[in-house]
Amino acid sequence: MSDYLHIQNIHKDFSGLKVLTGVEFKVKEKERHAVIGPNGAGKTTLFNIISGKFKPSSGAILFKGQDISGKPPHVLNRLGLSRSFQITNVFQELSVFNNILAGVRSHYGLRYHFFKKPDRDRNICERVEAIIDEVGLMDVKDQPANSLSYGKQRALEIGITLSTEPELILLDEPTAGMTREETNQAIKMINQVTAGRTLIIIEHDMEVVFSLANTISVLHYGTILVSDTPEKIRNDQRVKDAYMGEG
Amino acid sequence: MKQKNTSFIIIALFLAGAFMPLILKQYHLNMLTEIIIFALFAVSYNLLLGYAGLLSFGHAMFFGLGAFMTAVAIIHIPGLALWNAILIGVVTTIIAGFVIGSLLLRHKGAYFALLTLAFNALFYAVATKWHSVTGGDDGLSITRPDLSLGFTSISMASLTHFYYLTLIIVGAAIVFCWYFTHTAMGKTVLLMRENEERMKFLGYNTNISRLLLFTFTGAVAGLAGSFYTLHFQFVSISAISVDMTTAVLLMAFVGGTKTFWGPILGAFVYIILQNYLSNITDRWPLFMGFIFVSMVLFIPGGLSEVIMNIRQRLFGKKDNNGGKSAASEEV
Repeated sequence: MSDYLHIQNIHKDFSGLKVLTGVEFKVKEKERHAVIGPNGAGKTTLFNIISGKFKPSSGAILFKGQDISGKPPHVLNRLGLSRSFQITNVFQELSVFNNILAGVRSHYGLRYHFFKKPDRDRNICERVEAIIDEVGLMDVKDQPANSLSYGKQRALEIGITLSTEPELILLDEPTAGMTREETNQAIKMINQVTAGRTLIIIEHDMEVVFSLANTISVLHYGTILVSDTPEKIRNDQRVKDAYMGEG
Repeated sequence: MKQKNTSFIIIALFLAGAFMPLILKQYHLNMLTEIIIFALFAVSYNLLLGYAGLLSFGHAMFFGLGAFMTAVAIIHIPGLALWNAILIGVVTTIIAGFVIGSLLLRHKGAYFALLTLAFNALFYAVATKWHSVTGGDDGLSITRPDLSLGFTSISMASLTHFYYLTLIIVGAAIVFCWYFTHTAMGKTVLLMRENEERMKFLGYNTNISRLLLFTFTGAVAGLAGSFYTLHFQFVSISAISVDMTTAVLLMAFVGGTKTFWGPILGAFVYIILQNYLSNITDRWPLFMGFIFVSMVLFIPGGLSEVIMNIRQRLFGKKDNNGGKSAASEEV
């Protein structure tokens, strides 16, 4: 059986600066995979390559057997891959409802229609409300995104990521900058909303990693040091040297 | 709620428009026809500028192309029906918009503005030099064909008849543009201006969106241009010149780019000012320029912003559309 997602020997140079030097790991279907590593290890660059923002300098990304490396983000999204951003990247002036609507109607194929009004479609609106409910923003549904608290903006970020019904979700530091209490809530919510889907998550907070992931890959100086279960990672001497020691 | 109100206003405006020939003298009816045509032109321009945030210096190429194609078609095809003359103008601009748009769609901001300016200059040069077809500096004179409705034919020699045709067709096009801002495509345009990167990650091909919008606004400008020719029964190179782009830019700015109806108001004010100022002095462009500069300096939101502010003061209505963009209002 071929792998669900296979990151094959990915290299990325930025005009001579080698950020990724042969990243290799596999993700199984429905797996909850965390990528950890010290600052500057290239985690976000890796995410940008998987999600289509950057093209890799070399290497391949096999998604269900198909090489998706270098494909533009909108194509990847339609294949079922969706990502969140480390720095909140929502539609600031728009209401929570309209933020989520943007993705839901895209999934329903209502992107460029010259006659249909997306907010008149009952199925779409129901789905939007369901997602808002899942990420716990029902009470601020009609408020503009820029009026929300930081924690709620992060929840909206995840809501938008879910809005195109992805099967593979990439979350880039979803709890960055949150208080402990907000983080605990976020972990609970992420666990719920990503149930039954494949999750790849970048995270600094080890508590988050150990409560969300069942496989961990450690990225260190542009390559994967080790990829294993949380227990093994916790006790791995190389990981302790490279990463845990610093934190 | 809001849309219901707007529908009511639209119907009221059409009814008011229908009674105008009974009230206005020919001279003013003439001016009103011109205002409606330019209102459509300005609305199409504002879909690019106000909604998509794309500053084009070349919108007159579509207006002029529609105007010239209609004139050329009427001159060269004997017995051409009015509908077909308009259709030829619009279809040509759709093709031109699609081709030019494909070349421009990767560019934004200053590059986009300068490239549209360059294309406009190219069209202008062709219109000036291709004397045998466009009449060059002399322009082209036409006679409006009669309107055939199958069972009967309506003479378009009468200004009143042509006014009604303009009111219905051009008015309907303006209403469709308003409707467009609420459709999936119209909202996609707004969302892209808000956050284009996120749109890409939500499955939207933003280049195609821009191309569709560019083609659509070009076609609408072409329709306005076609009516411009029919209205004046004459078209000259000024219709395709950069001056015409400046005119539509002025209309949009004076009226305000942040609302849908701002440019309509802008066209109204612009045409009336132009008519009265040009009666008083030959140096009317100087005064128009002066007005434009002061608007940009002191009321960048245009007349629509002034009106909204007054309404807010008078009724104390908390109108969160006031200082904000079209996006927050229309979505």
